[in-house]
Amino acid sequence: MSSEAVTAQPAPKGNGWEPKIVAFCCNWCSYGGADSAGMGRFQQPASARIIRVMCSGRIDPLHVFNAFLEGADAVLVTGCHIGDCHYVNGNDKTKIKYKYIENVARELGLEKERLQLNWISASEGEKFANFIRDVTEQIKKIGPSPLKPEGVA
Amino acid sequence: MQKGEMYVGWSTKDDVRKRGGSGGLVTSMLAAALEKKLVDAAVVLKKINEFEAVPIITSDINEVLNSAGSLHSVPSNFAKLIANKNLKVALPAKGCDVRGIIEQGKRNAIALDNTFIIGLNCGGSMHPVVTREMLEVMYKIKPEDVHGEEIEKGKLIFETKDGKEHAITIDELEEKGYGRRESCRYCTIKIPNNADIACGNWGVTGDLVGKATFVEINSEKGAKLLQNAIDAGYVQVQKTDEKGVAMRTKIKGVMEDLGKKWKAKLFVPIDNGRLEYFRKELENCIDCGACKAVCPTCSCGDVSKCTEYHSRGDAYKMSMYHLVRFLHLADSCIGCGQCSDVCPVDIPLTRLYRRFANPVQEQLKYEPGMDMRKPPYFEVKLND
Repeated sequence: MSSEAVTAQPAPKGNGWEPKIVAFCCNWCSYGGADSAGMGRFQQPASARIIRVMCSGRIDPLHVFNAFLEGADAVLVTGCHIGDCHYVNGNDKTKIKYKYIENVARELGLEKERLQLNWISASEGEKFANFIRDVTEQIKKIGPSPLKPEGVA
Repeated sequence: MQKGEMYVGWSTKDDVRKRGGSGGLVTSMLAAALEKKLVDAAVVLKKINEFEAVPIITSDINEVLNSAGSLHSVPSNFAKLIANKNLKVALPAKGCDVRGIIEQGKRNAIALDNTFIIGLNCGGSMHPVVTREMLEVMYKIKPEDVHGEEIEKGKLIFETKDGKEHAITIDELEEKGYGRRESCRYCTIKIPNNADIACGNWGVTGDLVGKATFVEINSEKGAKLLQNAIDAGYVQVQKTDEKGVAMRTKIKGVMEDLGKKWKAKLFVPIDNGRLEYFRKELENCIDCGACKAVCPTCSCGDVSKCTEYHSRGDAYKMSMYHLVRFLHLADSCIGCGQCSDVCPVDIPLTRLYRRFANPVQEQLKYEPGMDMRKPPYFEVKLND
């Protein structure tokens, strides 16, 4: 690696740089929401990488940390609306876990835009597309994540 | 005898009464519990010198009686010692030890029904290595010459073998970075009401000062333990007077306020560069895992999330090991300071863990180790 590459500035904010967003979606609601966003042809940036889990309650804090450490600029935790969980109370558990992840992320100095929780049902395609668009805009403003490893765009 | 009652008591054995701190009540209760087969074993510190002692699990009454006498510069960690051993045991414990034992109990590593915990009032303990250095730098005496130590009226007094006493105020020592361990300074559990029985010299009045122990019974097990010691003829008790109870409450209040003051002073929120702060503090980590091995709230064993998802080859900005530990200790850290004590590269781990634990435990109104409430992480739903 040339010395130039080592001292290179982080990717420029705004023009040209696309944030990497990891979105955890539950199989029954928010993944369906992402599907109907596509079927309804709602425009959204190509910044989100969706990881499907059976239930948002399965999302371990470890998954979120790992996404950040591997270079995600933002991590989204999405699931069914409270009370609509396919597994009765999976998203109640998500809420508790999220409280912990949020606190650790905040204490580590990650901005609040980088970690977001949202409840999206299978029919809310537009909400999903808007959510991704909003987050992408927010992240473009604040720039790459401080946890991104060296050499990862 | 029942829960909530308070007594002043002392040992009936002259030898124990003379050697033991504050009348040797705790030592005698342990010995009596062993003699009457209330327990199979007791945990005591076997003294090597003024700065070193090893914790032992023993069934020998003489060994228990010989252990009389307090050591301020040997922080004990009994929770991990008796975990997963399935013992019927009685043991003395500082506030943080009790919290550790209760946390292990919640995680099914200690059967709390078979564990008699004698809580000891604790204003703080000192790290043995730091104490040695302090003696040379601040007191200008050789550690080997020390014969005894004492805390009186805010002063830490060391007595040397030639009979001289050397006193310096604790405030002055702590300003220079010596004195109590950092976690003890901001600890606010001074009287262990989470133990079966709480013992200490606060609240002893009149002629008995220095010769008796103030006892508060916190549970039925505690009552059984004290009654057993009286029946066996090891211990004598008398009712407390109001003056003593008021004095004890006052000392507790003063100590807790001091703890809160230290807490506010140490945990100033960092505005910018939090990640840099944590990275800087952790940069020397050599991955030895001692902080986990010693942690009294951890009961995962060798195979655990923090170790299995962490690899030395990772080029991550923060190690996965520490992230998982931060998360785990956000609700479970009892602030005992053992991790900082054992860290071979002197990372102030307790301070780092507390940065995560303070806001989370405040938000969830959860105090680990104080009662049997399940850690909120494993709750199905929180009552907001």
